[in-house]
Amino acid sequence: MTKILVVDDEDNIRLLYKEELQDEGYEVSLAANADEAFKAIEADVPDLITLDIKMPGMNGIDFLRKLKEDKKDIPVIMCSAYGTYKQDFQVWASEAYVVKSADLRELKTTIKQILDA
Amino acid sequence: MIQETALGLEILRDVARISNSTLNLNEILAQTIDIIKNKLHIDACSIYLIETENEESHLKLKASSGMPEGAASNIYLKPGKGVTGWVAQNKKTLALSDALQDPRFVYFPEIEEERFQSMLSVPMLYQDKCVGVINVHTLDMRFFSPSEIAVLETLSGQITGCIRNALEFQRSQLLLKEQTLLYDISLAVQGTMKMDHQLWILLTGITLGGAGGFNRALLFLTDDPSQALQGYMGLGPDSSEEAGHIWSELRHKKGDVLHWILAESDRNEYQQSAFNNLAQSLTIPLKPGTHVLAEAALLKRPFLINHPHDHPLVPREFAELLGSSSFAVVPLVPHQETLGVLLVDNRYNDAPITDNNMALLTRLATHIGWVIENSRLFNKLLKSNQELLSTKEQLIQSEKLAAMGELAAEVAHEIKNPMVSIGGFTRRLRDQLSQLSQNPNLLGLLESPIQYSGIIISEVERLERLLHNILQLSQAGQLEPEEVKINELVLEVIASLQVGIQERNIEIKLDLPGDKEVLPIDRSKIKQVMINILCNAMESMPHGGLLQISSLPYVYINDREMLGLCFEDSGGGIPQETFENIFNPFFTTKKTGTGLGLSISRKIVESHGGALRLKNNLNQGVTVYLYLPLQNFANYNKN
Repeated sequence: MTKILVVDDEDNIRLLYKEELQDEGYEVSLAANADEAFKAIEADVPDLITLDIKMPGMNGIDFLRKLKEDKKDIPVIMCSAYGTYKQDFQVWASEAYVVKSADLRELKTTIKQILDA
Repeated sequence: MIQETALGLEILRDVARISNSTLNLNEILAQTIDIIKNKLHIDACSIYLIETENEESHLKLKASSGMPEGAASNIYLKPGKGVTGWVAQNKKTLALSDALQDPRFVYFPEIEEERFQSMLSVPMLYQDKCVGVINVHTLDMRFFSPSEIAVLETLSGQITGCIRNALEFQRSQLLLKEQTLLYDISLAVQGTMKMDHQLWILLTGITLGGAGGFNRALLFLTDDPSQALQGYMGLGPDSSEEAGHIWSELRHKKGDVLHWILAESDRNEYQQSAFNNLAQSLTIPLKPGTHVLAEAALLKRPFLINHPHDHPLVPREFAELLGSSSFAVVPLVPHQETLGVLLVDNRYNDAPITDNNMALLTRLATHIGWVIENSRLFNKLLKSNQELLSTKEQLIQSEKLAAMGELAAEVAHEIKNPMVSIGGFTRRLRDQLSQLSQNPNLLGLLESPIQYSGIIISEVERLERLLHNILQLSQAGQLEPEEVKINELVLEVIASLQVGIQERNIEIKLDLPGDKEVLPIDRSKIKQVMINILCNAMESMPHGGLLQISSLPYVYINDREMLGLCFEDSGGGIPQETFENIFNPFFTTKKTGTGLGLSISRKIVESHGGALRLKNNLNQGVTVYLYLPLQNFANYNKN
């Protein structure tokens, strides 16, 4: 089964993503911050990561840079509340950028496209 | 001898009496004549004084006795001309027993000089300058004795001082009158703020009689753009009858005539006068050497024109239009710049324009110059004050936008996450309820919960749109310009809205020449602007209408060449109150609108260096003008 790691500091968002993605047939694991995420990857390497940018502690962009330095082959979808970071060249290292919305269809389509590629 | 000495003393006593009794020139002259006639036993006597007018001197007969009544008024003599003229020029006494035979003699029929056989002519000297001549005549031939000559010379010497005093007194009286008039005019001018009223008061002062006393005054102002003098105001009677009427009325007035005029007359009446209309119809180009008015303005000096018809700087038609035998022109130069010229004449009483008149006129012209200058400065101040106010408003507007942008970015993240949860879980709730409702037993129970969750979902969507717009507002300055064929972009936008256009039965008319026009713009942002403009137009025409889209010839805005696109709908326009708020963020008339569309659009266009303008044609429609610069805006400073 395809494994997706959801990294987000908001409990409800993590729960929502988990349930929605499970319904799509993915195996979902969760991390509330960068440290937890690294531990989860250590334990079981996911096929894809959805990554929030604004988080306490290490933010999403720094996490992405560190991740890409070590494990370049895990695709990452940046999920942010707004599109401001699109202009930041550092996020270009990710595979996609999705603005968060209650309507998760864009996120699901993007995940599917990346995994199918 | 004793007799002669006694006569000399008598004369001295009488002259002393004159000098102590009066300062009136005419009285002095009349009493002097009496003394001479009575003491010297002669038949006629006359006194000439030298008058200087426009740097020309002549002898004027001022008083006489034993000559025909009233003959004296028009006798002028040039120094050197006639016996009197010779005496004035040579400053020497001349005693002629047979005057008619003297080669220097000039005959004036008005004073019947041929009746007089002998004459004695004595110069009046003051500080070695001749100021006049005293003549005595006898009908019979008479040889004037040296003592008679000495007596008349003594008398002349004494009376000269009296006359000088009287003349000085007259001059200072005139000056006082002028000063009083100037003071009264200044006071009256200070009583009003309106330039036209102030000018009217000044021109009234000039045409008042007394010290100013011109018949008519005509004011021209410099018109910068056309480089011409434009007639601005004309004050004076339209005919000699009117002039006569005014003067007879003025003669009966005592005291402060200016105040009487200012209080009694209707200051707007002059506007209907033929002379004022004539004044305002005149335009005189400021070209050197063509016209005395232009010359006065350009050279900044006054002109006194005595024979307008023969003057090279007075065009014939202008001389005929004025119809006066002389006129004066003074420039209005409060500082360095000539603001206009003032023309005055005495068309109706033909009085000569004297040096004194010119001096007063120059002073009043200075006053007029200040009035105009003050008024111009005041208007300039008013204008820059208005500009300041409007700049302030713009600043407030842009500060409002900037502050909102920063706040928006901060708050958006905090709001967005809970909203995603609310909306996301509600969607899940609705999906699960929908699944449960497949069971016919539960359908009735679940209908309302499904409807409610639908409402929550759509309201969250609306909030998400609002947040999206706010965030765009704060990011509108970040542009990614590329070369875009503008007409293609217009067609693309129309195509993307095709469904709505057809639904509303809207006809679109295109007039887009120059189909290869390429502009350096941020494609997606300008597209968003166009979509916004078109959506507004469509919403204003829910039941059909006409939308005309045309490109405008190149226009210059803020010194930059722009391409204009014009979107004209037939949706009936918007109420004025709404229109005034249309660019205010969050202002909307739509039930579901966020009110950010137009303010974002304007920000996007302005960050391109362009301009977005709206014209509201009530009951017709709205026209939106979208101007985009043709040249690259790489150097455009968005602040």
